[in-house]
Amino acid sequence: MKLLETLRTVNRGVALLVGVMLLACAAFVLLDIVLRQLGSSFGGTDEISGYVMAIATSWGMAYTMLELGHVRIDLLRSRRQALGRSLFDLLSMLVLSGTIVLIAIRCWPVLERSLKNSSTANTPLETPLALVQGPWFAGWLWFAIMACLTTLAALRLILKGQFAQSEAAIGAFAEQDTVQ
Amino acid sequence: MITYVSVGLLALLSLSIPVGIVLFLLGFGIDFFFSSFPLIRGLGQMVWSSSNSATLIAIPFFVLLGEILVRSGVATRTYAALDRWVSWLPGGLVHANIATATMFSATSGSSVATAATVATVAMPQAEKLGYDPKLFSGAIAAGGTLGIMIPPSINLIVYGFLTQTSIPQLFLAGLVPGLGLAFAFIVAVAIICTVRPELGGERRVFSFSEMMNALVHLLPIILLFAMIIGSIYNGWATPTEAAAVGVAGAFLIAGFFGGVSFQMISDSLYGTVKITSMIMLVVIGASFLNFTLASAGLGQELEAFLSNLGLSPFGTILVIVMIYIVLGFFIETLSLMVVTIPIIVPLVVEQGYDPIWFGILMIVLIEMALITPPVGLNLYVVQGARKSGNMSEVMLGTIPFVLVMLAMVAALIAFPQIALFLPEALK
Amino acid sequence: EDLAVVGSWSGLPLHKQYEAPFWGTTLPEASGGSINVELTTHNQMGLGLGDIYNLLGQGVFDVGMTVADYAVADAPELEGLDVPLLALTADEARAMVDAARPMVNDIYRDRFNSHVLAIAPYPPQVVFCNAEIAGLDDLQGLKVRASGRMTAKLLEALGAEGVNVSFSEVPGALQKGVVDCAVTGAGSGYSAGWWEVSTHLMPLPLGGWDPVVTAINMDKWNSLSKETQSLIETSIKSDFEDPAWASAQNALVDDIACLTGNGECPAGDARSMTLVEASDADFAKARNILETEVLPEWAERAGQDWADRWNASVGKVVGVSIN
Ligand code: NA
Ligand code: NA
Repeated sequence: MKLLETLRTVNRGVALLVGVMLLACAAFVLLDIVLRQLGSSFGGTDEISGYVMAIATSWGMAYTMLELGHVRIDLLRSRRQALGRSLFDLLSMLVLSGTIVLIAIRCWPVLERSLKNSSTANTPLETPLALVQGPWFAGWLWFAIMACLTTLAALRLILKGQFAQSEAAIGAFAEQDTVQ
Repeated sequence: MITYVSVGLLALLSLSIPVGIVLFLLGFGIDFFFSSFPLIRGLGQMVWSSSNSATLIAIPFFVLLGEILVRSGVATRTYAALDRWVSWLPGGLVHANIATATMFSATSGSSVATAATVATVAMPQAEKLGYDPKLFSGAIAAGGTLGIMIPPSINLIVYGFLTQTSIPQLFLAGLVPGLGLAFAFIVAVAIICTVRPELGGERRVFSFSEMMNALVHLLPIILLFAMIIGSIYNGWATPTEAAAVGVAGAFLIAGFFGGVSFQMISDSLYGTVKITSMIMLVVIGASFLNFTLASAGLGQELEAFLSNLGLSPFGTILVIVMIYIVLGFFIETLSLMVVTIPIIVPLVVEQGYDPIWFGILMIVLIEMALITPPVGLNLYVVQGARKSGNMSEVMLGTIPFVLVMLAMVAALIAFPQIALFLPEALK
Repeated sequence: EDLAVVGSWSGLPLHKQYEAPFWGTTLPEASGGSINVELTTHNQMGLGLGDIYNLLGQGVFDVGMTVADYAVADAPELEGLDVPLLALTADEARAMVDAARPMVNDIYRDRFNSHVLAIAPYPPQVVFCNAEIAGLDDLQGLKVRASGRMTAKLLEALGAEGVNVSFSEVPGALQKGVVDCAVTGAGSGYSAGWWEVSTHLMPLPLGGWDPVVTAINMDKWNSLSKETQSLIETSIKSDFEDPAWASAQNALVDDIACLTGNGECPAGDARSMTLVEASDADFAKARNILETEVLPEWAERAGQDWADRWNASVGKVVGVSIN
């Protein structure tokens, strides 16, 4: 299905960016270690690592969902026929979408509060929290939207009786694992 | 409340809803049924603070380290080399899984990352050589848990942080029990496969010169271990920062022994993001569930329960071990540590036990929790690396290793020196 | 009346000796059973320190307490409650906190939708060094682990270099020379064994007194009857706040005795760290830096209105004025 393919492609791009951000963070930490040996330091690598982790986590979620990476236990599911399996998958996606939408809604007040108070981190860096919570919140919002779109696409496949395609989109295992 | 969580967990998991989401749902349920306070208002705050963590960033770093070793071929060569050294034992390649996991544990602070690395390298072999999937995958899941016992270890960092004990001392204390467990795993597999040869695979004997030639392929991992641990003990890097040292080391080694390409880097990054998000959804869901459990009074229930028993120091330890075994079935391990340490450790120390020793005891129990169903991250990771088959096979395969861990728990209680000897000797 | 109370660190004396008895028994008994308390602590709930007042304001629980420094992310004006070096004794610290109380009340009302019930001290945050030092001036060029924003800024202004190390990693860091000095409460440093890895102790409150603010959600507070309100206010003052302050000075004297061996140590074996007294000249210089650099910077962060209010209250008590 075209929509699903587009979502996959876009999120592969997002995942690569997230990965590069993590890599840059590792380099940053390393540079700080070296600088400390030379008697100086950036200061605040801890703090920045924390922000990177929060943002990387929220933006990586949708990619993992589309690659069928979020673990599910399929003891009962795997014993069903194609239709039954599809219904398990659909239920799972509906519940996931609902939960993530709720999370995204509840993450907004955290950002809103930082915007309202112009909050800055309790550190020498005085990082404006909205600057890091903004991208973090956007990541959860992105995940929520991706989850809803994927659910709709899969629902269409199931209604048309295309169970194999639906299993490829929202099943329990990835066809080909990214890890070889 | 415990009953509600247990039943709810089993029911929702069997509907094959993603594990992380199930933990959120249970949290919502506790908020609704057991708490008079609007805990859901704290949801966003919990999601933010549980992921905004400089300690947790060690997870993607360690996963990335493993990915680089896999994709540069270093991991495969290590596996093949260890295969030559241990596959003459009854059980064949199963021993290589344990030995490889032990080696990677020395470079990785995360059990999940260790299991993911070994599973990626080993699984194709199992299918090629026609191994029984149960014991084979069970050995990877269990061997992977050594990642948090053999230094470096994210969980020991968290323990040290929460109990204000020295992290380098904890690392030293984990070394002997970690290697002891690895050795006991190998002995257990050898015994099982002597009695029931069909569970293992073909024993493969290599010549002395083949074994010697293989040694060179262990060098990269030994070098990497020296870099990571050296950076901590020389005071260059904090234990958390050492994960970044590991990533740099893996790149150097890959460049020297294997080859770094754009393709290999981007594949490693994809794998890292996928595994990290998988783990983090569970970790964030678990910390929200914890928050609701604690607000609804789980901590007090536990504290009152323990103090009302009025037990001897030995009795207290036994009860605490039981508690961890039971909670370990259901609760994700990092959250389990975060919630219980402030309650349990002061009690244990008050009874005259050494906090470093108890940290190691707790890590064995946490290792067990990682491979006991229904919530066991290592089971999920190993299952995730398989192309087919059922999760129950992995679960069955870990049973012998759980028994070995129980034996280690008993040994640590009987002979605390197993853990304390090294840190005391080097003080 | 049910109250869900979230206390400060469960392992520290303030919670064990004062918070837990007050909320667990004293208040419920004083109310004749009409107040029912559910007490936990932020670390038992797995809450980050910065989350507590935010969750309190949203009404997730009723009463919360933590070190005010952790809330300055959302309220930079709150830094004025705990300025280092201004109070050298518990009495002076209390006078400062009392003077700041009306400001703190307003900050908690506006920023965290909550009402302040009490402010109690943690032990003052003093300096442990694994380096020969004879006074404040010697901190210049040293690597120092600080907690809290204003302390870090002061250290930088004194010519020291701030390094981020978590509490449990401090002993290793001191031993290996990752840091030369570290700031924490004298009692915590004693029980965590920092005396093993450091040689010199400078008992100056370079990290301030870390006041712990107890506050109640505003909606909950307004829903209580006048009688209940006054019962809580009077008993928390007489049975929690006053005793906690009364013991603070003695605790400091004891902790220093334990660390240096100068005097009786009730907590266990006395250690033999070298006690470093800052000279008057040193101290005057540090105060000068505080007044001319660190506090004006804070005034910029918090806004001139707060600086004016601070001058008229806390500043008057300690004899400092921010220009
Ligand atoms: Na390890
Ligand atoms: Na488990």
